[in-house]
Amino acid sequence: MKKKIVSLVMVAAMAMSMVACGSSSDSGDSAASTGVSITVLNSKTEIQTQFEDMAEEYEKATGVHVEVYNADTDTTVASQVATKYASNDPYTLTMVDAKDIYSLADDYAYDLSNEDWASHTTLGIDVNGKLAGFPVCVEARGILYNADAIKEITGEDFDPASVATLDDFKALLDKLVAGGMEAPVGILSEYWSLGAHWFPMVYEEQEDPDAFVNSLLAGEADLAGNEKYNELMDTFETLVAYNYAKGSASNADREETSMMLAEGDIAFMFGGNWDWSVINQYDYTENMGIMPVPQNTEDGTNEMLVGGGSKYFFVDSSDATSEEERQAALDFLNWLVSDPEGNAFLTEQCALVPAFDNIDASALDPLSLSVKSYADAGKLVPNYNYLPDDHMTVVGQEIMQKYLDEAMTRDEVATSVVDYFKSATPIAH
Amino acid sequence: MENAKAARNKKIRHAIMIIVLTILFIAFIFPFIMVVINVFKVKADITAAPLALIGKHGFTLENFPNAIEKMNFFRSFGNSLFITIFATIGTIILSSMTAYLIVRNNWKANKILFVLMIASMVIPFQVLMIPLVSLYGGVFGILNHRLTLIFMHIGFSLSMATFMFHGSIHTNVPISLEEAATIDGCNKFQIFAQIVFPILKPTIATVAIIDAMAFWNDYLLPSLVLGRKELYTIPIATKVFYGTYSTDTGLIMAALLLAMLPILLLYIFLQKYIVEGITAGAVK
Amino acid sequence: MKTNTLSYKIKQYLIFAGLTTFIFASVVLVPFVYGLYLTFTSWDGVSLSKPFVGIENYVNAFADTSYWQSLGRTFIYSAIAVILVNAVAFIIAYMVTSGIKGQNFFRAGFFVPNLIGGIVLGYVWKFVFNKALVELAETITSGHAKSLLATETGAIAALIIVSVWQYAGYMMLIYVAGFMSVSEDVIEAAKIDGCTGSQSIFYISIPLMTASFVQCLFLTITRCFMVYDVNLSLTNGDPYGSSALAAMHVYNQAFINKNYGTGQAEALILFVICAIIGGIQVYVGKKGEVQA
Repeated sequence: MKKKIVSLVMVAAMAMSMVACGSSSDSGDSAASTGVSITVLNSKTEIQTQFEDMAEEYEKATGVHVEVYNADTDTTVASQVATKYASNDPYTLTMVDAKDIYSLADDYAYDLSNEDWASHTTLGIDVNGKLAGFPVCVEARGILYNADAIKEITGEDFDPASVATLDDFKALLDKLVAGGMEAPVGILSEYWSLGAHWFPMVYEEQEDPDAFVNSLLAGEADLAGNEKYNELMDTFETLVAYNYAKGSASNADREETSMMLAEGDIAFMFGGNWDWSVINQYDYTENMGIMPVPQNTEDGTNEMLVGGGSKYFFVDSSDATSEEERQAALDFLNWLVSDPEGNAFLTEQCALVPAFDNIDASALDPLSLSVKSYADAGKLVPNYNYLPDDHMTVVGQEIMQKYLDEAMTRDEVATSVVDYFKSATPIAH
Repeated sequence: MENAKAARNKKIRHAIMIIVLTILFIAFIFPFIMVVINVFKVKADITAAPLALIGKHGFTLENFPNAIEKMNFFRSFGNSLFITIFATIGTIILSSMTAYLIVRNNWKANKILFVLMIASMVIPFQVLMIPLVSLYGGVFGILNHRLTLIFMHIGFSLSMATFMFHGSIHTNVPISLEEAATIDGCNKFQIFAQIVFPILKPTIATVAIIDAMAFWNDYLLPSLVLGRKELYTIPIATKVFYGTYSTDTGLIMAALLLAMLPILLLYIFLQKYIVEGITAGAVK
Repeated sequence: MKTNTLSYKIKQYLIFAGLTTFIFASVVLVPFVYGLYLTFTSWDGVSLSKPFVGIENYVNAFADTSYWQSLGRTFIYSAIAVILVNAVAFIIAYMVTSGIKGQNFFRAGFFVPNLIGGIVLGYVWKFVFNKALVELAETITSGHAKSLLATETGAIAALIIVSVWQYAGYMMLIYVAGFMSVSEDVIEAAKIDGCTGSQSIFYISIPLMTASFVQCLFLTITRCFMVYDVNLSLTNGDPYGSSALAAMHVYNQAFINKNYGTGQAEALILFVICAIIGGIQVYVGKKGEVQA
């Protein structure tokens, strides 16, 4: 009896796996297949579907098979890339964050300085004299707003410039509350939002971010007394006071917060243009945008978004990738920048703000349009890419989440951050 | 008189047990109810009203075909089935033999092997992760094969299976039966195959279901070994629904239900064997 | 037949355990040794150079206070979870082997949670805690309800609940097999001798089921000590990193903070602690096992 069943199941399994093998070997029939196949790691997981569709089209047009892999969200891209290199099975083309480029470039990144697109961007990453990173897009952070929701209460068209200072912003918030919107603000509680998006502004908006971080690392900076720190914390405290999730703020759900903003239950949320891919899942309005973080400041940062190039491709230079594959990867990058189809993929299908000056981008989503207008006007505070690796978890989760829950005072935050930096490992750059 | 009272007591006891079990059962099944309710809703409704039976946008079956297409369900299913079946069979045969050897022979080598196996059960997988891929990918270059994964699955599950068979042989297999067989002229392997193995049926069924389930659901190891899409198992394929900046809740729920069914069937099927195994035991 | 010669022993060993030893060694032992070597390097996990640094990683590990905090948390979590899992599993196993109606249905039902893999399971429960239960509570009290996952003790409690939910069915299976292997004859004989139901559980079933207890305790202890996937998908350390258990700390140390060597060293310390606890428990348990 038992034997019978086992053999039955085995036959079924064989049949299944044969089916599986059979279906995987069909190749493109439009352009003659070149037999070249490259693998790509996509760590912008929200464009995975678009990326896969594009890969099919690309194969039809060029005969090069592009296999797109989605980054694993349970781990970091860095560790995923590390395991791939440990297995001697790297991706031909890997999309990583800026900071990863610095740790990978020396050993594994191919020099891209001689590529045609290099002259069209200022956002590529150079490491020790070689151009290692191809910028995928421009992204920026600020306060997302729903203009419809605001207009419904105030009766006037919303002008982000009118709330550049914290005082004006507060006045508007009070008006909204008085008009019936109980709590007009949403704050994402995820540690990456607090530790990699919000808190780094404290460094990024200093006059010399690098010097400031170095003085923190050396244990010399006076964070509690720092003007920028206090300006941003003033704003943060205001956001906390008007947070719809007050009481369980550190447990706010990202989907729910985005939905509330999309549908106008709240009017403001701290985030960036990448949030569009969540917002557009709900009943959203087109009348949205990103504005600078309001601050009572004189330094002009309350008229600027924070951001720049985001996500970088590097081409594998190790022996595991053949010359042919490498060339195919380089061709692919060129295609993205110089071919209208490639441009359309970036701007129309993926709604990314292009990092290249020759790409036209007029049909973007509202948030990206905001980012583009600030970028074009030169009003972007650049990202600071050299924070220690554990900054995001320690400052984001252990410190800022507590502050978000009002379980920590501003001075305690400063002390904890200063303590953290004393034992942090600096990033060589 | 006594008997009637005993029978009534038994009835009452059973009634209480059924009530307790039912309450516990509902608590256990609650998350599944949530999955089943929400699998028929679109994502917006899931976020807005997770408890509602039908969302604002109405009843939908869309999640199923979408999930099947996006995760390439049939291919992943075939891969998962192939890997699970062979790894489970391999584990059961090897570990029961090893356990038998260890129980019946008090040799030093056996003791060392058994201690090493037990100790290995508490090695955090993270310790082995990078060394494993460095070795099998970097040195041998045999990643991206289903057989490699089967080999590793067996390697990682042998310890626990041996441990379980060890306990079961130790307690439930009477040595007198084997002695009789030895006198009849059976060699050790025959004794194992014809006498010991059949007695182990309940444990075999238990190990089979536990390991099959572990293999079927495992994510981390397959994701390290199988780096090619055509080799993906169901758990790896399901990962496409989790994004850093977006999560397709509805599709996840559909994928979850689809992935669960085969194992549920296996369990219901094997459950009968657990019962049979007892009644057919050699103890009587 | 000579059963004492070395060649006989070697032959028997190879027949019964040769392949096992080979696979076990190549999948577990060899990578483990290599992993051990890596703890003496300052490798960042990706670059080509792996500088040898001696015991520096262990020094760092001992100085890493948040590691020891996470370990302390793991002790508390494990102690409570192990007791609850086994108590619930044993009681359920007893009830579903007592001959009541629908026992097969119940057995299947309690086992079902195991059919979902760890990571997905965490997501489902997160959804239940954060959405379903909160909404349920808000409807009942018509006020503002806070998710269990939002507080420090609540998050650990949630982890314990999910662990009980996840493992009780699994352990129930082993206890069921244990109950069933206690032969009817023995119980019948005891009844004739005047044993009551509860007496026969405590004096006959439980001692004969020592093997099941040893297995279940060992499995729950080690699993609880090394829990990672549910921790990741259910709480991911939130709030404030207060629910990060040891395995998660180790993983983050190695891969997020890119201190691969230190993470690996901390994982090894975790391994040694587990091995000691597990070893003691198995040793004591095996001593008490009853031979058939």
